[in-house]
Formats: sequence, structure tokens, C-alpha cells
Amino acid sequence: MVRVDGDRVWFEPEQTTSCGHCASSAVCGTGANGIGSVASRIELRRFSLDNPAGLRVGERVVVGVDDRALIKAALTAYALPLLTALTAGGLAQGVAGDDLVTLAAMVVGLFFGLAGARIAARRLAARGELAPRFLRRAAPSGVMT
Amino acid sequence: MKDFALMMIGAALVNNVILARFLGLCSFMGVTTRIDTAAGMGLATTFVITVSSMADWAVQHYLLDAYGLGYLRTVTFILVIASAVQFTELTIRKVSPSLFQMLGIYLPLITTNCAVLGVALLLVEGHMSFIGSTLFAFASSLGYSLVMIIFAGLRERLALAQVPRLFAGPPIAFIVASLLAMAFMGFSGISTG
Repeated sequence: MVRVDGDRVWFEPEQTTSCGHCASSAVCGTGANGIGSVASRIELRRFSLDNPAGLRVGERVVVGVDDRALIKAALTAYALPLLTALTAGGLAQGVAGDDLVTLAAMVVGLFFGLAGARIAARRLAARGELAPRFLRRAAPSGVMT
Repeated sequence: MKDFALMMIGAALVNNVILARFLGLCSFMGVTTRIDTAAGMGLATTFVITVSSMADWAVQHYLLDAYGLGYLRTVTFILVIASAVQFTELTIRKVSPSLFQMLGIYLPLITTNCAVLGVALLLVEGHMSFIGSTLFAFASSLGYSLVMIIFAGLRERLALAQVPRLFAGPPIAFIVASLLAMAFMGFSGISTG
């Protein structure tokens, strides 16, 4: 846990890349957000929850999401834009039969699909289907359980 | 239409990216411990392979072929793939921060997935039209996702099975992978039968 904000608490996922184990990882890239530290990516993936159990900054916790949430999220983010792009490309190829027109149609279809994904993701988020849930406290860093 | 359908079946099943071409083996062994993570990785890879193949086709035809820069193909394609992954990451973050928090972990892994570059290079060898190359890339990545999900299902069952200590963990996973590859060899009969 990295921050308390009223009744909300903010978490950062623990993640290190393979190159993060390198002896030079601290000086790799630019400052604290070097490639080895992946800090820049982790900051982007911060998320908040209601403080479920009086957690304090620095504590490690285990959170989880609904079993089907990951598949629903992946279908929304990736499958929907791809299907609209391929449909648009197929129609353009059938009508015009020209590579450049098909390419343009697929790009347009892709952006329409992304717009649809945005709407679908909002609906999923409004129903709370993408929200992580607090499961339990984890052992402090460096302690084997 | 029939040609496209046969090409897609061939790309997905007969010449499967993982089991016949042996590409993307890192993610095949690394992200297949659970079905939902395998499906997430498979769909993310499908998106990136398809989008990057569209960009690679355009770069190949309008830049590399047009100016005789074919010797820069591999480097250029790596750049295009990295850009496609960055584009996907930025887009998902803009489209839905919730989706990005859930799926963002897979995207950096795809940059170094050799299946993405492998499919792009296969497209050049095939000398296909734009729609043909896009459908080939899409079918190849569907085959990749299919094998990832099947293997994840098998590994979930393996986790509950009584396995001799000698074979526990990765060894039995490799044995199961070899059996799966042999099962997929059955699809090669489609081309001769």
C-alpha cells in the first residue's frame, strides 16, 4: 500500500522484470523510473480500494478479481476492436477490391471498435465487474511463508 | 473466399505457430498455469499480431519494397511491433483505465514474443494481398490462443494429478506439450486427405 486518501487506500502491484535483477538496474534508464525498475509502468497501474481492514502505508496485501473478469476485460479491449476492423476490411475488400481502401477501412473499423470498447468497459466498470477486491494481508517483504 | 478459409485453417491448425513452427514458446510455458491468464495473453497477442501485421504489410510495400530497403526488414519490423505494443498500451489506457490496470501486465511481454515477429516475416515470404496477410496473421494468432488455452486447461488438471516426483512441475508439462503437438500433427492430414 502506498497512500491513504481519506477512506480510500492506494496500492501498487509488485512487479520486477528479469532485467530488474541486474546489478545495474538502478542506473539503467532515467533516474528512479529506469527500465530495470519498471517504476514508471507500476505508477500507471496504481489502483484504490475502500480501506478494508485498517491498512497502513507499506503493508502488503493480496487482492483478486472475479474469475471471469479477466476474460471479459480481454474480450472487450481486444476482441471487439479486432472484429469491427476485420468486418470493415472484409466489406471494403468486397466492394472496392483495393488494398489501400481495405487498409483505410480496417483502420477506421479499428477506431470504431475502440470507441465501442470504451462504452462496454464503462458499463463493466459501473457494474463493478473490473474492480479488484481485498482478499488478505500478505507477509511483510522478505519474509517467507 | 474458399482460398481464404483454407489458408486460415492451415495457419491456425496445420501450421500452428506454437506446435508446428515452435514460436512463442516462452509465453506457452510461462503464462499457461491458469486458463484466464492464458486467454488474456492469447487475446492480447492476437490483437498485437493482427495490428502489427497490418502495419508491417504497409511498411513492406510502400517503404521497403519501394525504396529497395529489404535488408532492413527485420530491424524495421521490430520497430513496428514495439510501436504497435506502445500504441495498444496507450489506447487501452485511454479507453479504460480499469482495463489497463487489469490487462497492462501482458503488453510489455508481447514486445519480445518471437511469434509476433515470426508471423510478420512469414507474411513477407507469402507475398500476399493486404486482406490475405491480415487474415493469415489473425488466424495464426487464433491458433496461438487456442493452444495456449488448451494447454492451460491441461496444466490446471495436471496440478491436481498425482505425478511421480521425478516428473513433477516443468517435466510433465513438457511431456504434455509434446503429446499436444502430436495431436495437432493429425491436422496435417487435412492438406493431403
